[in-house]
Amino acid sequence: METTSPIERLLRAVALTLVVVFFMFPIFWIFLMSFQTNETILTIPPSIVFSPTLSNYAALITGKLQTAAGTLDIAFMRNLGNSIFLSVASVAVALVLGVPAAYAFARHKFKGSEDIAFTLLSFRFAPPLLVLLPLTQYFQWLGLSNTYFGLIWVYQLICLPLILWIVRGYFEDISADVEYAYRIAGHSWFATFRKIALPLAGPGIAAAGLLAFIFAWNNFVFALVLASADKQPVTVGALAFVTSSGIQYGQIASAIVLSVTPTLALALYAQRYLVEGLSLGAVKG
Amino acid sequence: MTTLQLKNIVKRYKSQTVLDDLSLDVADGERLVLFGPSGAGKTVLLRLVAGVIEPDEGRVLIGGEDMTDVDAEHRGVGMAFQNFALFPHMSAFDNIASPLTATRSSKDAIAAGVHKVAKLLKIDHVLSHHPKALSNGQKQRTALARALVGSPPLLLLDDPLRNVDAKLRFEMRLELPRLLAAEGATVVYVTQDYKEAMALGDRIAVMSQGRIRQIGTPQEIYNAPADIEIARLFGDPTINLLDVVPQKSGDGVFVELSNVRVRLADYDGDASGKSCVLGLRPETIVFVDASAPGAIPVTVEAETPLNEKTVTLAMTARGREILVSRPAGTPGPAAGPAHIAVNGAQAFLFDKASGRLLPRADIASKRNGEAA
Amino acid sequence: MASTATLRKPASGFRISRKMLPYVLSLPALLVCIGILIPFFTAVIYSFQRYRLSQPWARQFNWGENYLNFVTDPAFWNTLKVSLLYAGITVALELLLGLGIALLLQRRSTINNFISIMLLLPLMIAPALAALMWKLMTNPSFGILSYLASLIGLNDFRWASSPDTALLTVILVDIWVYTPFIMILLLAGLRSLPTQPFEAAALDGVPRSFVFFRITLPMLTPYILTATLFRLLDSIQQFDIIYAMTQGGPGNTLTVFQVEAYLNFFQSTNVGRSAALLIILWAITYTLSNVFIKNWLRLRERARGEA
Repeated sequence: METTSPIERLLRAVALTLVVVFFMFPIFWIFLMSFQTNETILTIPPSIVFSPTLSNYAALITGKLQTAAGTLDIAFMRNLGNSIFLSVASVAVALVLGVPAAYAFARHKFKGSEDIAFTLLSFRFAPPLLVLLPLTQYFQWLGLSNTYFGLIWVYQLICLPLILWIVRGYFEDISADVEYAYRIAGHSWFATFRKIALPLAGPGIAAAGLLAFIFAWNNFVFALVLASADKQPVTVGALAFVTSSGIQYGQIASAIVLSVTPTLALALYAQRYLVEGLSLGAVKG
Repeated sequence: MTTLQLKNIVKRYKSQTVLDDLSLDVADGERLVLFGPSGAGKTVLLRLVAGVIEPDEGRVLIGGEDMTDVDAEHRGVGMAFQNFALFPHMSAFDNIASPLTATRSSKDAIAAGVHKVAKLLKIDHVLSHHPKALSNGQKQRTALARALVGSPPLLLLDDPLRNVDAKLRFEMRLELPRLLAAEGATVVYVTQDYKEAMALGDRIAVMSQGRIRQIGTPQEIYNAPADIEIARLFGDPTINLLDVVPQKSGDGVFVELSNVRVRLADYDGDASGKSCVLGLRPETIVFVDASAPGAIPVTVEAETPLNEKTVTLAMTARGREILVSRPAGTPGPAAGPAHIAVNGAQAFLFDKASGRLLPRADIASKRNGEAA
Repeated sequence: MASTATLRKPASGFRISRKMLPYVLSLPALLVCIGILIPFFTAVIYSFQRYRLSQPWARQFNWGENYLNFVTDPAFWNTLKVSLLYAGITVALELLLGLGIALLLQRRSTINNFISIMLLLPLMIAPALAALMWKLMTNPSFGILSYLASLIGLNDFRWASSPDTALLTVILVDIWVYTPFIMILLLAGLRSLPTQPFEAAALDGVPRSFVFFRITLPMLTPYILTATLFRLLDSIQQFDIIYAMTQGGPGNTLTVFQVEAYLNFFQSTNVGRSAALLIILWAITYTLSNVFIKNWLRLRERARGEA
């Protein structure tokens, strides 16, 4: 396997370079654009040599966009705040609800547990709009339209199954004897759950939480259907921003950069957990 | 100290019956060994007593009190697991302290208790280590310490010496009886090693396929195994088993080995004419001169040392293999023709069809007493 | 001291019984999910109704009419065609590309590990935002990709704005976002394969193509199946990329199931048709997911057995 010819090594290097360029270039290019004025962006041919400006970010952060026609208000920072709040709260709720349930599924093969687990899993595969469209009407009746509460509830559709399935796998990997030993030592099931199961499944819970956060952050359709401008996260907000700002390309680019930075930073920071979570979620369950 | 009673316990997993209407009484302060091959249901039985699994039928009584529906943490038993089951994220100290923290003892009392039992088990120098940093022997001692620290009236030990090396097992086999005696607890001890069972048990319950096949003192089980399987499990080298058909003559029952009559003093006429299996413990057979009475001609094939014994493989004229053991260092025959003598008074007769030990005249009454 | 005095007595007061405990633990999660299940049944009812938001007075059961109408409805067949085309092409290309990249990165080395982490990044970007990124790059007046296209003689290449190339463009974005997912799964699979067969083959001088087709691929099949079905289920429901990029246009070029249903609901306010479309999509994904779950569980059992 190690006996590779120089030509083959060269071909491999070329192929890998192409792969890296294809997948990295868009991120790199949008990042550059976010530091360019509209004039620079519209220059042909495009160049990677330019004098960078922070004006795009300044406009987004102050929320005031100076255009020829006058000053425009941008709600983008509000979107960013919504994204943070919705994702954090959804993951927190999903953890509180999902971790005990995952523990129940892993430790107690109770009647119907497999069926219930399947049903929960199948949420992962149902078309979201099938639930969302009727839900718009229920939310109106319940007064949940355009509320954080309603959105966080619906976000459980993505976060809960993910947490259930990944964390359940981690709980199953803990030797039952270790928990038995703690019970026999005189501790209640709850103490055992808190002092033994939770710490030992900690990495798995972190991985699941991280993944759930990223999925929640990246969600688009839930908020598109159920939220108005003031509750929208960045995914929907950025699209609205494109429509409203027209030709402010530099600002669009910087809005995208701000929107993707949290997930990219998390991914780089915790990539090991992430890879494990992704492959567990798909392969191991 | 306390008593333990199991009444008609049944446990099934799916369609498989793991414990089959099993009843057992353990007296106050007694050390009972559960002995049997893997899959016999020993571990399940222990967990049932500990309360981490529930029986499908039957009751568990500890100290006379019905504990069947009581959670594990309220049963007040101590347990050591075969795989140690240490808490990987806690230091040895915290592992050992876990039964004490449950009762909300003071910090000082906990530390004192842990140090006392750690000193007894010679692990006081590794208390700050996590299980990952402990040797196998230290893990095993930590697990034992955790079971002992709360001075539980009932101590359950699930093959605690299984996963440690031979040298350590030997040491612990000497150390454990003293330790357990000092504790004074009622002990249920699971093992697959007959020597351990003999060394540690006041009584031994031999289990297989979810039932108790025989229960008695080590001597009773060794000297009167209830069936062929038990006879085979106890004893190293393994008991010699020869197909025979006993005959009756004027002065009693005898079997013929290579045309030499061996009289079975303990048996009466009932056994004659039946297909039987003769059980001869290797240490009850001796090499003798050709001229000795009852000398059976054999060919010595090979000789191997086994612990403090020397084991000889001999072949009878009819090609049956017989193992003979003698204390190491005592003289034995060279390879080639030799003669052995069999002590008919120490031989067992088993019914070939059922495998059960045929009742012996002199101790039949005693055996019946045990089985009841 | 009496022999039983040291036994700890069960605490009095409220105690969850052992049999109830698992139900109590999973109940909150189940309740939340059931709350979400109700709309599903509502959608089934809608799909059997003539129901337009603009004419609420005309709402009534028309039973299978919404479904029957599909048979003669070219827009429906277009939706079906585009959805299947989109799912088929994206998954096939992503699989080939993902497998190729996984093979390139199979050997553990610093540079390979670094690249595999880098390649994770597109997967971490919201598909809707990824679509916007590509929209900026394919802008006819300043987009870098439009400029590159003009360099190779494709002047006025309109990317997503032209009916001829719109599908190609969104597929490109999908590949950019989701190939890393398949790559990660297959890389994990490749790296978990036992090494002995490969060492033996190398010692015996077996040709590499033979090793690949007779050893690597068959051993990797469960992973490939899992990744494929997982992606297929997502891809046939794609909404974010297409909606963010083109809103289903130009014309009805990209009206895949969920986009068409969304437009039906919010623009034509035809709730009945929208629901019927989604039920058909659900039937397709349900069938696929059943196959998927079975395969997944088998793989999971195996992973557990080896662990």
